Amino acid sequence: MRILLIEDEADLLASLAKALREEGYAVDTATDGEEGLYKAREVGYDAIVLDVMLPRLDGWEVLERFRKSQKTPVLMLTARDAARDRVRGLDAGADDYLVKPFDLEELFARLRAIIRRAAGQTVNTIEIGGAIIDTASRKVTLAGNPVALTAREYCLLEFLALHRGETVTRTALYEHLFDEDDDSLSNLLDVHVSNLRKKLGGGLIETRRGHGYCIG
Amino acid sequence: MRFFHSIRWRMQLWHGLLLALVLSGFGFTAWRLQRENQMGRVDRELEQRMGLVEESLRPRNATGPDAMRWSSREQKLFDGMPGQAFYYAVWQRDGERGNVSASAPSGIPRPERVPGPPVFRSRGDFRESFHDTPAGDCVLVGRDIGDELAGLRRTAWLLAGSGGAVFLLGLAGGWWIGARALRPIAEISATAAKISDGDLGERIRPADSESELGQLARDLNNTFARLQAAFARQAQFTADASHELRTPVAVVLAQTQSALARERPAAEYRESLAACQRSAQRMRGLIESLLVLARFDSDETAEADELCDLAGIAEESVALLEPLADEKNVRISVEAAPAYFRCNAGQLAQAVGNIVSNAICYNRPGGSVRVAVHPEADGAALTVTDTGQGIAPEDLPHIFERFYRVEKSRSAGQEHSGLGLAIAKAIIEKHGGTIEVASEPGAGTTFRVRFGTG
Repeated sequence: MRILLIEDEADLLASLAKALREEGYAVDTATDGEEGLYKAREVGYDAIVLDVMLPRLDGWEVLERFRKSQKTPVLMLTARDAARDRVRGLDAGADDYLVKPFDLEELFARLRAIIRRAAGQTVNTIEIGGAIIDTASRKVTLAGNPVALTAREYCLLEFLALHRGETVTRTALYEHLFDEDDDSLSNLLDVHVSNLRKKLGGGLIETRRGHGYCIG
Repeated sequence: MRFFHSIRWRMQLWHGLLLALVLSGFGFTAWRLQRENQMGRVDRELEQRMGLVEESLRPRNATGPDAMRWSSREQKLFDGMPGQAFYYAVWQRDGERGNVSASAPSGIPRPERVPGPPVFRSRGDFRESFHDTPAGDCVLVGRDIGDELAGLRRTAWLLAGSGGAVFLLGLAGGWWIGARALRPIAEISATAAKISDGDLGERIRPADSESELGQLARDLNNTFARLQAAFARQAQFTADASHELRTPVAVVLAQTQSALARERPAAEYRESLAACQRSAQRMRGLIESLLVLARFDSDETAEADELCDLAGIAEESVALLEPLADEKNVRISVEAAPAYFRCNAGQLAQAVGNIVSNAICYNRPGGSVRVAVHPEADGAALTVTDTGQGIAPEDLPHIFERFYRVEKSRSAGQEHSGLGLAIAKAIIEKHGGTIEVASEPGAGTTFRVRFGTG
């Protein structure tokens, strides 16, 4: 899952990016509205965390321009807590709203919720074959036994599971699983897939030659 | 008791009392006049008759017992016609009753001896006049005044009846006028109650703006408007202050929660602590600024008790800010001629410092800030000119507002709370000074501060 974090307060940006990366997200950052809007349009993020008070373009403006073309879930982050500000944010196309100061746990939960909703899921558990993926605790069990996955393997599995039935291209996987600073080589993706097959059984992830991967 | 404290009831009570007093006084006087008039007429008639009787009594040819001999015509007149109102009685010198007319009521008491002019008396339904003739006889002329008395009683009833009617009408009119006069007060009170319930936008609608109550309503409306504005300012200020505190608190929460989530190398803990420290310092700065402003809001006047040199204050402020100017790569210069006036040096140094640091922080790298102080005919002036990006015309009127920032974010001046210029303005105005700003976008901004000697 790849997230864009647009926040102008350097200390907050750094700590949020770090915490989100530790949660297993690929995180890109932007420190003003223009940069944020540019990145949001260029890359297919799974979610965007958008501060309202931004230099150059404020959060409302970014959201308005961005929403003309894209449906990526957006969580607005702001110090304004008046009801009319919240209404304005939600009406402008924000999927959720979090008032500063907030708890990291709540931010994580809300992000999971908007990503889940965007994928058409309603609960935190996804069942595929005998495997159960719990997106809240990021744990996978196979026939009741926990399966130890690396963070990357988990992300890959979760992304494919959320797009169940679709063929996910390698490009899409690179876009959604690695952030802008990641220099992972392309063959690493194949390594992760083969590791997942070893741990969860060969039939789970299908390879569509020339297209990508798919979980049925 | 509520009843006695109501203005309307008290007005009505006094009004009723006055009306009753005037009406009864008027009615009683009218009745007295009528009565005196009637009695005067009766008395004049009695006097005339008295004269006639005496005339006919005067002895023409004899004295003694024969003196009372009258002609039959006289006797007839004396006896009167049946139903005639007048009657006569004569007592002779020795006390014996002489002649009594037939129309006289029975049992007329013999009056006291009264020499001289006739005396009048009222006896039940009769009015009588009597006196002693020079010969010593007592002559009494009387008249039945039953009709007159009945007429007077009718008049009295009529007066009482019409007076009562006028009294009731007057009371009703007074009640109505009172209600009309007091209705605006009821409206004012209803509006004031709504306002005290929290609906600060409510205003009194004065019916007649020229009346005393209209003036009162206008005064109250002005007061309400000022109160509403003050409340709105206070609410905005509180909202802004809490808004400004939210971001640093968010940093502290995010940093600490993230740091405590797992074991980390010491360097990461140090990084988190440094970020928390920066946030705490920012909050401290904000709290200090808020306290300064709160003090200014509660104090009416500055303690302007020292004779200070504005040039010295400016030089000190610039010296303190030189490290900041170096950091931002901004040149700073002072041209100061001594300019003395009475002020609070500590506060004024803060105001000047805020303006100068603002000029440094919103400058461009390699730019300059020029501070000049010169005495004026009636005071002192300070100008701070920078070569920064300038201020857009639409922002210019707002830059002294609390928490107003030209760049709609915090990043242009992380260390600025958005209160510096508001504090400077508050200090300068407490000292009776003025602050003006002129700016050309792209070229720079000039702040001009003037103090009178007053």
